[in-house]
Formats: sequence, structure tokens, C-alpha cells
Amino acid sequence: MSAVSVRARRLTTAATARADRNQTLSIVAGVIILLVAWELAARALTDAFVLAGPIDIAVYIAQNASLIGRALAVTLGNAAAGFLLGNVAAMLLAGVAVLWPRSRTIVTGAGLLVFCLPLVATGPILRVVLGPGPGPQIALAALAVYYTTLIPLLVGLKAAPSTWFDLVRSYGRGRYAALVHVRARASLPYLFAGLQIAAPAAFLGAMVGEFTGAESGLGVLTIRASRALDVELTWAVATVATLVSLLAYVAIGAIAKALLRDRPPVILATAPEPLGRGRRALRVGIDLAIVTGLVLLAWWAALEALGLNAFFAKRPGDILDALLLAPDAEQTRATLFTALGETAVFVLPGYLAGLLLGAGLAVVFILVPAIAGTAMAFALALRSIPIVTTAPLVTLLLGREALGTIVLVAVMVFFPTLIACLHGLRQAPGQVMDVLDSYAAGPVQRLVRVRIPAMLPAFFAAARMSVPAAVLAVTVVEWLATGNGIGSLMALSASLSDYDMLWSSVVIVSVLAVAGYALVGAIEARVLRTYAPEQGT
Amino acid sequence: MAASTAPLEVVCHSVGKTYPGDVEAVAPLDLQIAPGQTTALVGPSGCGKSTLLRMIAGLETPTTGSIEIGGRSPAETAKDARLALAFQDPSLLPWRTVRGNIELALTLTRQELDDDRIDSLIRLVGLAGFADTRPAALSGGMRQRAAIARALVTEPSLLLLDEPFGAVDELTRQQLARELPAVWEARGTTTVLVTHSVTEAVALSDRIIVLSPRPAHIVADIAVDLPRPRAAELSRTPEFAVIVDEVLQALTAAKSATAAPPAER
Repeated sequence: MSAVSVRARRLTTAATARADRNQTLSIVAGVIILLVAWELAARALTDAFVLAGPIDIAVYIAQNASLIGRALAVTLGNAAAGFLLGNVAAMLLAGVAVLWPRSRTIVTGAGLLVFCLPLVATGPILRVVLGPGPGPQIALAALAVYYTTLIPLLVGLKAAPSTWFDLVRSYGRGRYAALVHVRARASLPYLFAGLQIAAPAAFLGAMVGEFTGAESGLGVLTIRASRALDVELTWAVATVATLVSLLAYVAIGAIAKALLRDRPPVILATAPEPLGRGRRALRVGIDLAIVTGLVLLAWWAALEALGLNAFFAKRPGDILDALLLAPDAEQTRATLFTALGETAVFVLPGYLAGLLLGAGLAVVFILVPAIAGTAMAFALALRSIPIVTTAPLVTLLLGREALGTIVLVAVMVFFPTLIACLHGLRQAPGQVMDVLDSYAAGPVQRLVRVRIPAMLPAFFAAARMSVPAAVLAVTVVEWLATGNGIGSLMALSASLSDYDMLWSSVVIVSVLAVAGYALVGAIEARVLRTYAPEQGT
Repeated sequence: MAASTAPLEVVCHSVGKTYPGDVEAVAPLDLQIAPGQTTALVGPSGCGKSTLLRMIAGLETPTTGSIEIGGRSPAETAKDARLALAFQDPSLLPWRTVRGNIELALTLTRQELDDDRIDSLIRLVGLAGFADTRPAALSGGMRQRAAIARALVTEPSLLLLDEPFGAVDELTRQQLARELPAVWEARGTTTVLVTHSVTEAVALSDRIIVLSPRPAHIVADIAVDLPRPRAAELSRTPEFAVIVDEVLQALTAAKSATAAPPAER
């Protein structure tokens, strides 16, 4: 009996190993094709000064190894510190949410709001608060990772059969024992899935922090290169940032594989708690009030505790003043809304295009399975690219007009959507597929009737998480390249020491991002009730 | 160490459970389970027998009435590490070996890890040589054996078994039912067994409580006066068949009585 199952296990292990080897081969082949295409394109465009080929970049990196190496070491150190801080914070928050279930919505709500803070503005604010050292870079790296770890971790901490918890309770033990003996270990695959995404995110956060006026690091090199229109340096920094992020992504994946037997889950969604409808609305309202109150209190208390002066450190009351009561409030509002309008023109088409392209390409991959293996491997790798750090490249290639910005936002949204949708499409319930097979339904039928409905939860999860990402992308491009919209307004306010405007923009952008997230969540709830009732509530 | 391993008496005083939405799982019922006896709760699927067991285990609170185990509440009994539970799903932690899963019960009840006790239990349930194997590499029957060993390692005074021979094939199930009960019967522990297999109930218990379809109430209370230890051949004797028949008739009567809409709640 056991001999048979052990042998079956070995066989599946062998099959997995073979599949892994095939995938590795197809990735290598894909990379070679990409490099050749890139080199050819660079040669064709050689007079345009926008694109450096892989050979030129490699030569440039080799020639400037010590310059780039020093910058990389600085950024890597900041990213690692932020990675550590952010993930420890996420684990503590997740632990609190599990030990006191009532605090869960408050933890996730406040977590979301902080995640929605526009880095472009929090960067300069942190720069003033924390001084010229590595503080802001580390803080921004931590801010960039904690939420993407918190969400899968919260799912993972619940991902255990109820009888395991019954077992703990039948021995008279409570939540703490369940956390230590069951939840902590059961959540590890989810934690690692989160950490994998967090690694490139930390790198990105550290680089954005360096944009705000650090002395050294890859972010500083990026700024210098894009100001000097140094094409080779721009491409070299982006290449190094990508390679390092990719390595971190792969390394964490390898650690997870060595430590855990279970296959890593791809989890983006958190299913809302089932509650009665009326009670739920009431509870959401109460939680919203608690979260708002807590955030305002934390904001005020932090500024008081740090003893920051009122000229720079604006309290909630100051913002209310600036936006509603002060004599020039109308003008402040007008400036803000003009900038927001300019931004909306870029961010909305980019966001929607990214979602549609991601979902559309996922569908194509499923219909043409031959390309799906390589494409999926590529997409996974590309997810690890710190896309915002390529902002100078995109504007270099596509110009400082609308197209460049829209493309960057779309790219930022595209990758997570593609990954999530592919995962969702593969989740189609096998038995239902068998039923359709028995009616000789074609691939299109299967797609429309089973796979797309099965994909919807993952699609919406990606759509929600992409809202803050799109805001980040558009503000960074506006700041670094196009010079209009809310991103530019925030950067300008910071350099002109117009702190009323800076803090007001932070509040407005964060609230809008949270509102966008909530709006997508509301659409999601409606759609899932119809198409995937077992996934909605 | 657990305070005492003397078997406990279980007394249910008009215990009932109604879930939100007015779903009545268990109608208020009185039940007294003598210490050291094995009592089977038998009834159709979904009748509320598992709910009753879960209330005795302290996992769910009755909406009416109360339960006393040796004069104390289920929660207190659980806190004293005096009860143990085995489920239809063996519920082994996949990252722990057989030994590790058994040790977990000792850790959770804050007892010392006693290697000799664990080893002898592993042998008793027939898992010698698999102590360091993880559940994924075990067959369904072997996992059930490990789950029984985990339930017994704390030397509970009250053993609660919810379909303990689980979702395995019929031959394995019969083999488990033949081998495993000897392990706990030797200890004289009070045992409550939930099952929908009538022959299993007769073969294992001293007393069978037949429950009606939901909401569960007691429709028959049948003593099983068969000699112990019970050999496999016992199931082919006329005495055995008489009791099986009695239980089946009670089940059938209860079912047809509730097929008509209930006159009162």
C-alpha cells in the first residue's frame, strides 16, 4: 500500500522535475530571442538616441563597474532594510488581526490607506522628517512591501481546515496556540508568495526614495542620467535594477521550494467575511469611522511626538483649513482639481488598457497553450521588474506626451493582471470542464461558459491591487518626466516648500485611491454574486 | 500530566441546538452516559449527531440546557486535557511526521513528550516503522490509525469519535474497526462514538442511542449485551443480528414518522 503511494510520489516528482526543466529551457530560449530582437532594434534605431542594445549596455556596465557597483550596494542595503522592516510590520499586523478577529477590517483598512499614500509626496515629507541619510529610502521601501505581504499572509493564516482548529480547541487551547501550532506554519507558502513580490517592490521603493534627494544609489544615477539624456547610463541602471530584482525574486522562490513541499499558491484575493447584509453595511460603516479616526489620531500624534514645526508638519486641522476655510482655499482647490484632471486623463485610460490587455492576453495564452508555457514564465519574471524605475526609458522611447505616461501606467497594471488572470483561468473546476467535454464543447465555448467566470475573482483582485500601483506609476512619471498633473504638483510644492498644498495633495490622492479601490471592490461584489456565487458573499 | 485518567460520566440536561435562521439541529434531549461505557450515537446523515458530539467536546455551545462531564462543563474538561477527539478526516498536520502529530497532542495539553509512550502507541495502532513518515506518504487507513494514536496519547478520560474509521474503502474500514477499538477498550475510557454504520455501532458499543432525522431527538436507547472482548466472528451470530435488526427498525420508524410534516416544533 505505502510502497505504491511512495512510488507514485516519486513518479510525480520526476514528472515535476521534467516539467521544471522544460520550463527552464523555454525561458532560456525566450531570453535569447528577446536579447537578439533588442539588439537588432537598437541597431536599427542607432541614430535616434533612445535605445541602447544589450551589447552596448554590457560594455557600459563593465566599463563603469565601480560606479554602478557602489550605487547598487547603497540601494541594495536600503532595500534590504526596508524589506525587513516592512515584512516584520506585516507579520505583526497579521498576527494582531488573527488574535483579535474584530480588528481585522481595521488593520486591513488602515493598511490600505497607508499603502495608498503617494510615494512621490511622502518621499519629500519623509526627507524633511528623517533628514539626509538613508531613512526615507528605507521607509519608502518598507511602505512599498508591507501591504503586498499582509494580504497573502492574512489569507494564508486562515488557509487551514476547520478540524485543525477544532483539534486545538478540544485540548482546551485558544487562538494563540492555534496561531503558533497551526496557522503560522500553514501560512508559510502564502508568506513566501508575498515575500517574492515584496523583493522587487522593496527595490522599487528604495529607488523612489533615492529620487527624493539622496546622495548616492541607483535612484540618484537614474535622475542624473535622465537629466543629462545619457541613454546608455539610463538603460544600464534599468538593466541592473531589473536583474537584481529578478535574482531576488528567483532566490526567494528557490528558498520557498527548498523549505516547503507544497506548491506555492498564487493568491491575490481576500474573500470578504460572510455577514448578514444589513449588519454588514452597519459594520463597514463603523469600521470606516474607526479607521478614519485612528488614522487622523495617528497622524496628529506622530507629528506631536516628533515635535515638528507647524510650518512644515501640517495637522489634520491645517488641511481642513487649507482646503475649506482659508481665504485662498478656493484657489488651492482649483489648483488641486486642475492637476487631478490632468492626471485622470492619463491614469484612467492606462489603468483600463492594462486591465484589458492583461486579461485578454491571458485568454489568448489559454486558447493557444503552445505559447503559454514560455509566456507564463516570462510574465512571472517580468512581474519582478521595478517598472517605475524604467519610467525614464519609456519617456525616452515614447516621448513626454500622453502616450508615454499611459503606456507606463498600463504596463504597471498589465503584469499583475496577466498573472492573476492566467491563474484564475486555470482554476476552472475540472468536473465542470468534463461535463462540457462530454457535450463536445469547443475551446471558445469552454472559455466563455466556464473559464472566464472562473477567472473573474482573480481579475478583480488584480484590478483592486492595481489601483495604488497605477497611482504610483502616473505620479512618478509626471514628476520625473512630463511635468504636469498631480505628481508634478506634489514635486513642485515640495521644492517650493508649499506644505499646505503638499499635505493636501497627499490626503486627496490617498482618499481617491482608497475610493477607487472600494469602487472596484463594489463592482467586484456585484459581478461575483452573479457569475461566481461561491466566491462572493 | 493530566490530573486523573479515571473515566468520566457525561450528563446532558435538555440539551438543544438551534442555529441562526431557526435551523434546529438538536431538539432538547436528556442523556446520561455511564463512565467507562462505549455509547454509539446512530442516525441518518445530517440528523445532528455530530452537533451533539461537538457540544459534548465544548466546540459548540448548546442554545438550551447544559452538559456536565464528571460534574464540570465541557470547556473546563477540555482545559484539563481530559477529553480527546478524533474526526472522520484524520486532520493530521501535513508538515509533521506521525510522531510529530502525536507529540502535538502532548504539547497542546502541556505534557512532557514521553518517547516510550509514543512508540508503544505507534506499535499498538499498527504503524511500527512509520513514526518518521509524513501523512502525505501514508494511505488513508494509516492516517486514521495515526489520528487514533494522537487521540489516545493524552490518556483522556473521555474519548469522542466522529466517524473515526473515516472516508476509507470498506475493507480498510472493517480492518480498522476490528483492530483499533481494542486499543482504547483496554483502558476503560468513557467513549462516545458517532457513526451511521449500524453494524459498526453494534460491534463496538455497550449502548446505542438512535436519533431521529433533524432536529435530532432520541427515538431508541438499546443496550448491547454482547460479551467482550468481541471477536470478528461475533458479527455472524444470531444475537448480533437481533440487535442490528432492532436498531434498523428504530431508524426506519423514526424516518417514516418524520416524513410527514412535523405537528409541532
